[in-house]
Amino acid sequence: MRPAGGSALLDVEIEQKTFVTAAGERLEVLRDIGFVLGRGEVAVFVGPSGCGKTTMLRIIAGLDRDYRGRIVRPPGARVGMVFEEPRLLPWRSVEDNVRLAAPGADEARLAALFAILELTQHRTHYPGELSLGLARRVALARAFAIDPDVLILDEPLVSLDDALAVHLRDELMALVDSRPVTTLLVTHDVNDAVRLGDRIFLMSPRPAHVVAEMPIATPRTARSESEIAAIKTEIARRTNGNRTAATRDAS
Amino acid sequence: MMLRLLSLAVFLFTWWAASLMAGEQMLPAPATVLGAIVVEARSGALFFNLGVTLARVALSFALAMTLGAAIGYLMGRVRTADRLGDPWLILLLNLPALVVIVLAYIWAGLTEVAAIAAIAINKLPNAVVTVREGARVLDARLDEMASVFAIPRWRAFRHVVLPQLAPYIAAAARSGLSLVWKIVLVAELLGRPNGVGFEIGTAFQLFDITHILAYALAFAAVVLAIETFLVQPFERHASRWRQRAA
Repeated sequence: MRPAGGSALLDVEIEQKTFVTAAGERLEVLRDIGFVLGRGEVAVFVGPSGCGKTTMLRIIAGLDRDYRGRIVRPPGARVGMVFEEPRLLPWRSVEDNVRLAAPGADEARLAALFAILELTQHRTHYPGELSLGLARRVALARAFAIDPDVLILDEPLVSLDDALAVHLRDELMALVDSRPVTTLLVTHDVNDAVRLGDRIFLMSPRPAHVVAEMPIATPRTARSESEIAAIKTEIARRTNGNRTAATRDAS
Repeated sequence: MMLRLLSLAVFLFTWWAASLMAGEQMLPAPATVLGAIVVEARSGALFFNLGVTLARVALSFALAMTLGAAIGYLMGRVRTADRLGDPWLILLLNLPALVVIVLAYIWAGLTEVAAIAAIAINKLPNAVVTVREGARVLDARLDEMASVFAIPRWRAFRHVVLPQLAPYIAAAARSGLSLVWKIVLVAELLGRPNGVGFEIGTAFQLFDITHILAYALAFAAVVLAIETFLVQPFERHASRWRQRAA
């Protein structure tokens, strides 16, 4: 689904990405990944662990320039990222961590953000004093504080207990809906994918490529439980189908 | 604080007991040395010599730390710089202080510049090695964070890199201060007309143990004060974010 007025914001075309292992072996990680995201679209990438999703995000974020292909985004586009680990500065308070990334954010905006993420009473704490769940929220606050044009989320809910993950997912949904931000979310959790995404990309095992793209027409907030269940079944069918196909190819 | 005072009292008592056994000639009692310190202080010589030595320590220490930290950071970050600088570093590390000082005096004359440069060169490799270690273990994941969020270079250095280097810089500063003040005395003994080292050299020729101890202790007190009122508060401030351990 392309939201109204959704001009292309992010054009990704990765032909190939290879790593050279310590043993000198060439390892192909990504192959022929291409998609275009419009403003405000939320793309979710689901795939087996270790398939190269993080590598793809790093390329899109501009952290890895050693690949064949191209990434096009409007000049000056602000990128916010939540890494798999929170990556906070342990020697700066929660508030200073956010302010360092977003020096332009005004107090009202920060206060609102901290309120949504329930961080208000932790502003002056140091990351070492926070639980993992809280640290992840600070990482989210930091990414949203810069008012990003592109938001990159690498498994932001992983290794949290279920209740907390659900809670944080709702907060994430509220933030993504509060303003149009083109979002890339990597997850292995189909549930997160179906509830958060506008388009779901199913990734293959290494070398990773997109095996299927599933647009979801119903807006995030309006999805019924039965619809969500139906999409999940569809994803399960496609990923299993792919796995048998892959086995057949290999033999 | 109480423990520190207690440990000081034990030191003074041991000294006093040792001087009773060895005799005033070999080891003057604490009171005798204190008397000598007071006499020197009254004449103004003590403060003049302490001040001169301290100024040399401060100058050469600042020079060595600034240069050493910059070179160490570069060598820790840039592989080529490390390869190029390493042989020099090993040479400097193993060059005896005396050789550097004597050569400096021969080449640059018995001047203040020669003395300060020689002392700084002695301390420099030590600072380089320590800060290089720190720069080598900088967290690449935090660099990536700074890069994604487009944090300007200087701000990233100040908030992301420097706090990681702080413990290494503090370690270099602490070991450096003690090293510099030991070497300063040698440089003064060999080629300066004033300072604690010069006074001790003169006292040595006269075999005046009281005078030697008076100057040595007065300077040790100054160093202790610097450690307590400057180095330690800085370390406490720099590590305030750590969970209170150790």
